[in-house]
Parts: sequence; structure tokens; C-alpha cells
Amino acid sequence: MSAYIARRLMSAFLVLMAVITLVFILMTQIGDPAAATLGNRANEDTVREFNARYGLDRPLGAQFLGYLGVIACQRPSSPVYDDDPATNGYCGLLQGDFGESFLHNAPVADVILRRLPRTLLLGALALLFELAIGLGFGVFAALRRNRWQDTSIMSTAYLGQSLPSYVTGPIFLSYAAFLFGLFPVGGYGSTPLEHLQHAVLPAFTLAILGASTYARVTRSEMLDALQSDYVRTAKAKGLGRSRVLSHALRNALLPVVTLAGLSLRLLVGGAIITEQIYGWPGMGKLAVESIVNVDAPTVMGVVFFVALAVQLGNLLADLAVAALDPRVRLAG
Amino acid sequence: MPSTRRNEADLSARPGAHEAHAARVAQRRRRDAVGCVVPVLGFASLLSLVMALSPDRPDGPRYEGAGDPTPRNGGTFVFHHESNVRSLDPQVAYDELSTMAIRLVFDGLLDYDHEGQLVPSLAMAVPEPREEGKVFRFRLRRGVRFHALPGVPEGRELTAEDVRFTMERLLRKETGSPGAGFYEAIEGAVAFREGEAAAIAGLRVLDRYTVEFRLTEPDQSFLYVMAMPFAYPVARETFAHFGSEADQHPAGTGPFVFEGWERGVRLTFRRNERYWRDHVGPDRMVYLENIQRHLAGLRFMNGQIDAVHRQTLDHWALFSEAERWANTRLTFPRASIWGVLMNHEMPPFDDVHFRRAVSFAIDREGWAQARGHLIQPTGQPLPPAITGYDPELPSRQFYDLDRAKEEMALAGYPDGYPREIEYWSSDGDIARVYAELLQQDLARIGVRIRIRQVSFAVFLEQTGKPKTVELLMGGWNIDYPDPSSFLEPLFHSKNHRPANSSNRAHYQSAELDDLLDRARQETNRERRAAMYREASEFLAKDVAWAFAYLPLTQEVWQPYVMNYRPHPIWAEDYRDVWLDLPKRRVARSLLGAGTTTPAAFLPLARLRGTR
Repeated sequence: MSAYIARRLMSAFLVLMAVITLVFILMTQIGDPAAATLGNRANEDTVREFNARYGLDRPLGAQFLGYLGVIACQRPSSPVYDDDPATNGYCGLLQGDFGESFLHNAPVADVILRRLPRTLLLGALALLFELAIGLGFGVFAALRRNRWQDTSIMSTAYLGQSLPSYVTGPIFLSYAAFLFGLFPVGGYGSTPLEHLQHAVLPAFTLAILGASTYARVTRSEMLDALQSDYVRTAKAKGLGRSRVLSHALRNALLPVVTLAGLSLRLLVGGAIITEQIYGWPGMGKLAVESIVNVDAPTVMGVVFFVALAVQLGNLLADLAVAALDPRVRLAG
Repeated sequence: MPSTRRNEADLSARPGAHEAHAARVAQRRRRDAVGCVVPVLGFASLLSLVMALSPDRPDGPRYEGAGDPTPRNGGTFVFHHESNVRSLDPQVAYDELSTMAIRLVFDGLLDYDHEGQLVPSLAMAVPEPREEGKVFRFRLRRGVRFHALPGVPEGRELTAEDVRFTMERLLRKETGSPGAGFYEAIEGAVAFREGEAAAIAGLRVLDRYTVEFRLTEPDQSFLYVMAMPFAYPVARETFAHFGSEADQHPAGTGPFVFEGWERGVRLTFRRNERYWRDHVGPDRMVYLENIQRHLAGLRFMNGQIDAVHRQTLDHWALFSEAERWANTRLTFPRASIWGVLMNHEMPPFDDVHFRRAVSFAIDREGWAQARGHLIQPTGQPLPPAITGYDPELPSRQFYDLDRAKEEMALAGYPDGYPREIEYWSSDGDIARVYAELLQQDLARIGVRIRIRQVSFAVFLEQTGKPKTVELLMGGWNIDYPDPSSFLEPLFHSKNHRPANSSNRAHYQSAELDDLLDRARQETNRERRAAMYREASEFLAKDVAWAFAYLPLTQEVWQPYVMNYRPHPIWAEDYRDVWLDLPKRRVARSLLGAGTTTPAAFLPLARLRGTR
């Protein structure tokens, strides 16, 4: 088991390195950060100072190694970092430092950590909706197999899977929020209760796709389980309907756990389009802003966090499946 | 499934089984049909129910004021922008959003009135130029107090030393101010910046309330530069107290005191009860960040935001057409200029006839029509309200297809230009619209262009290099209301550089350089205005750009927001508003008469317009 985890962590590390390298290369290709940050008024002096301040005047290889923390970084004059002797001039990923955002004038870790709770709230609520709606309707559809309830739910699920959030989001926003005034019209609010109120509509918008997927998977898994031998045996033994159901459900849920692990991406990465529609100041919106403004350290930081979440989510899901299903043995 | 097959086999063995099977299949088909029809019917009925029940979009304000004209304190004013405030450090911030917040907290030595004229603010008077315009002496108001915030002693008075601290901070490299270049005209500023001098030689504190600036050469735009937020005095104690986080704890002398900033969400300010001049205003100001225009429009109609300054296309139409918004809206051109830039160093644009052909071919009125009149056509380098603008400028550019064809013939291409020209623009649907309009216009004179849209960063990088981009769409916003703020960065040869040129047409003319240099130093107001008009005339005639349009802005505010008028220089400047409270809900606001748009066709968030 521990060998398995070690191997998975190793592969996660390699994937992260590959992702970071790829994003670094891509970010060098989409424009000059100095031009994007300083705008069309920058003169040679300000551009030179900008590049020196962020170490962008070094060769790309040196910049990358400095970002990783393999070689010393260069921050001659940034007021945010009064050189800390403990870091010995190194300030990269290996030292747990994500660099400094060009756009926000602040350490990337701060920028991301400020957004992370908002994205986690939205993601958690969305995941809750997905599971509640998806599992509930999936099980119900399986129990009403081939009746009109089943076909209704499944065709609705098809519809839900094919409706993108840039269609449903504005509809909810216009009707539920604006005209009927049931929810706030976008934004984030200022108290925890307000945050929750503001999160309901975007979370629901996000959840439609996931809920549809869960409903379909749960239904088919549930049908398989209901037709399996152990359920027939249980029924033959005269077990009550609810006991039989609970046996079937536990087995049907295994693939759903794997799927939910993948959904962790949503928890951390936010939802780019939905956050834009509802003006939710989370990670998705941060990613868009940073890409548009060629804020490479922030983009790399965001991608790093999301990639990490995907890797950990998959690992946790596999471990959870192993814990739930004694037949699964994780080979070392 | 095997089991099914076995069942079917069993069934087929019995008499009448086929009929039974067929009946079951038919039954299943019916059931499937019902299963598909039920949700469709369900959705349809839900939708029609929602449509039937949903109120119409309001066609006017939902609230109005108490109708009491006495200016008074009280209430909370809520405004917004669609992106992030970057910094509250006046020496560092260089964007419209940050300036909106900074101008609530800080004052400048000088400011502008609503006519765009310089007026004293922290200074007692606008200084008269001394020694042929090389020396400016500012006398500060007495008894101006900084906000009492952590680190700042209670009742701390603004003195000339604060001006010195601010200017030194602005010029220091560590501050990283993008505005430092504006102040290099001060004697010794460059040496101080390079670390070669401990103080700015040309900045002298004469007494507690007097500070004097000496310039290397006469420069009449210096007063405008001193009115830019970069020079707004800051309290030095905050920098000692907060260190690198000082930009999040701004302490100024302005009408509002900074309260808090939840980054990316909201900034809050409270009224400065000890402000140095008579001032009434809301008790609190709430500045919402990251509220895109489609959300802002909806919230504004709901009465949750008190002013909007950018709208989606259909919100624009709604506000501009609705009678009930007529008294609290204004549409006006921003102080900026847009046009088609031809690279003067690259053929065929090195030929003035070819440039004139392009300029005559641009159907500026047609563009305005295509853009739903969100722009105003123009044909000269300066926007109205800037010295040197002349509606009757003899050489102003306009659309004339016949003359465009004549100029093409003079350029030696009577049958059109043989090669396809690459036209660069930044990304976005709106830029695309202009690109296609230009493509159509130029096709009429036989010039074919290939449109290339790139990200704004790439656009700036590539167009700033010489001999790289042949043809592009460009614009420039005001820094300070002086013609030099437009003409020097865009057309002076000193701003033609190996990289990051702001002169993106790469225009070079010794005659124009000389004229601009002389105008900058001229102290006589009339002579100076005449010189800039002459420069405008020269540029339009030489087709330095094909000047095309001025973007229009429409601002709308709630009827209970008093004393607000869009400012010609400062975007969304709310420092002097007051609220006519208590606001009252307007009856039938939701079911406004005359609204014909069915709710179902509401702007379903025009993502296009949210940029």
C-alpha cells in the first residue's frame, strides 16, 4: 500500500514538473509581460527596470531554474521581498515560493490563497449539488427502470449534459436573480451567509453537468447491482427492500467515488466560464485575468495548484475505492 | 443479454408468443415516447410559466430621491468596476480603476474643474511660471490634516516636507513607479533616480508651507504633470509602519478615509469628518471590484448600484432610449483618439499620396453607423476639449471616395495595390468589426488587407518595433489635458525607439519635432494654443495617422445621486456626490408602461460585451 502511494506520488511529481515546464514555455510565447503590464505608455527605462525587477532580463533557462529554485533568483529591488537571509537568495518552488505576480504586485501564493477559499466554497457547494441531485435521481431512475419516470430523468440528464453553463448561467441570472429577485445578482457578498447566498446560483449552474453525469452513471451501476447474484440471494433470503437497496447501493457507488475524485479539479480550479458570468472572484477568473495580462508566475501558480488537486483527487479516489471495496488491491 | 435471448427463444416456442412480444415492444415504445415527451412538456410549461409570471424589465429607476435639494451627509454610495484595483499607492498605480479609489483618499496640489481647467487643491493657487517658465513655486494650504490611521500621528499636518518625501519616493527606482518619466524635467531628477545624488537638486523646501521646483528647461506641461495622481502627497509614516504593505493602507488628506480592502471584491471608505474644505457626502463609499458590465447593468436597474459607466450593447440602448433615465444620464466622448496607423518607414505608406488615399477611403460616418453610434467620427489628432482642437481645421480628414482614387493614381497605383497588406489589431469582437470595416473601405480603392488579430500584449510588443507592422489600429487615452499628452508620445521622433515605441506609426518629422519642442516651452497661452493647432494641421495634412473616431461613454446614475456630473479628466469621479435620502421606491417600477421586450428575450448575458 505505502509502496503504491509512493509510486503514485512520484508519478504525480513528474506530471507536475511536465505541466510547469509546458506552461512556462507557453507563457514565454504569448507576449511580452512588460508590455502587457505597463501598457502602451512604457518607455525603455521602465521596461528595463520591470525586466530587471522580475529577473526577466536573464536567459529563459536561468529564469526557469530560478523559478524552480535550483539557482538563485533575482529580486534586486522589489519591496515585497526584503531579502530574507534564511532563503539564501533562492526563492523558487523548491523553497515553497511561487514568485511574484506582475499584475497584482504581490506574492503569487498570497494572490492564490486569497482566491482559494472562495473557489473552495463554490466548488464544495457545486459538488454537494451534483452528488445530491445525481445520486438521488440516478437511484430513483434505476428503481423505476424503463418506466416513464426513468426515461424522463434520463432524457433530462442528456439535456443537462448538453447545456453549457454559458447558456444556463445567464438564464438563471436573468430570471432567478434579476427578475424574480430570489438570489443576488452575481458577486460575492461580504459576510459568510452572504457568500453562501451568492454561491447558490453559480454552484447550481456548475452542478448541472456533473449531476447529469452522476445520474446516468449511478443508474447504470445500480441496475447492474440490482441484477447481480448477491441481490437475488438477498431477496431470496427474504431481506427487506431497504436492506437490499443498501447492499446494492454500496456496490453501485464505487465508480461514483472515482468520478467524485476527478471533480476535485472543480473544487480547486474553479470554473472559468461560470465565474465570469456570475462575477465570482475565484481561481477561474484569476486564471483568465492572468493569461490575458501575461502574468506568467500567477498562471503557473494556478496551474500548479490545479494539477496538484487533480493528482491528489485521483489518488484519494483510488484509496477510497480500495478502502470501500475489499476486492481491490492496490499493487505496489 | 443472453438471458433475454433465452426468454425470447422460450417465448417463440409458445403459440401466440410473437403477438405478445410485439405488444410488449409497442408498449415499451409508447413508454419511451412518454418519457421523452414528459420532460419536454414539463420544461415547456415551466418556461411558459416563468415567462408569464416574470415581471418586465424595468424601464426606469426603481428608486427616486426624497426631493430635498439641501446638500447633506449620509447614506452609502455603491459603485463598481469590472476588473481588479491593482494598487492604492498613488506613486505606483497607473490605471483608471486604481485612480478611482485613490482620488477618494488623496488630494493633489492641483486638480481640474469640470471644464478641464487647472485649479488649486492642496496648493493655495496655481503657481505662475517664474524665470521664463523654468521655476514653479507651490504654497500649501495650512491646516490640512492627514487621515488618522495606524502609524500616522493624530492631527498630523501636511507640510512641504511631505511633498519632498512624495517626489523622492516617486523617483526612487525601488518604488517602481511607471510615472517617474513624467518628472524627469525637474533638475537633478535623473541623477537622483540613478543614485548619483542624495537629493533632487531642483526641489527646494523654502519653508514649512512652500516648495519650489526648478526645471532643466521651460516646460509648460509641468503643472499638468504635477496634477497627476503620481504626485499626490502621501504620509511617510505609513511606509515606516506597514513597510511593503503600505500600498494597502493608504493615508491621504482626501474627502474619504480608507477603511478596508477585500482584494478582488470590495473597497470601503468612510467620510473624512475633518476634511479641509466644506464637503458633504455619503457616510460610506463602497467600491465593488470585478462586477462585469452585464451584472452591473442588472444590479443598477435593481437599485443595488448607484452609477454605471460601461454597459453591454443592449443595456446601452435601454438606458439611452428610456425616457425615465433621461435626467440622470450623459453620453460624451472620452478624451482619447483612435485611428488607422500606417508605418511611415515601410512602403507603400512612405508615400503621402498613398496615406491620403487610405484616409479618404475610410467611411467614418459609416463606421459610426455600424457601431450603433457608440463612436463619434473625427479627422484630426486631438479630441475636442483639448487645446488645439478646431472643428474647422482646414486639413481635417474625411471620407471622399473619388479623391481617394485620385490619390491612388498619384501614388502610382490607379488600378489598385498589387500586394496584400497585413493589418494588425488586438483581439476581441469589436476590434474585428473595425478590421472588417476597414477591409471593405480599402477594397473600394483596390487595397487588399489581411486581418491579423493578436493578444494585446503581442500587439503592443510587435507594433512598438520599427519596420515590423505595416498597418494597425491604435488609440491613445489622455494622461493630462494638454495637447502635448497626445502629440508627443504619438508623433514626436524621440518616441520612435528600437522597442516599446509609443509612436507606433513610426512617424518622424524634424519640422514637427521642432514645433512640439517650441510649444512645450512657450509660456504665452494664446501662442501656445496656436502652435498646437498648427501641429494638428500639419499632422492631419501629412496623414500621420488616418484619424478615425472618438469612443463615446454613457454614464447613468440613480435619481437620488446628487451633484454628480461626469468629469472631463477623471473617470467616474464620485468624490463630490451626496445622496438625497431617504430614497423612495418608485411604484410600478417593475411593470413599467411601454416596455415591449418580452422578458424571455432579456440580454442573456452578452459575453461579448463583458470585455
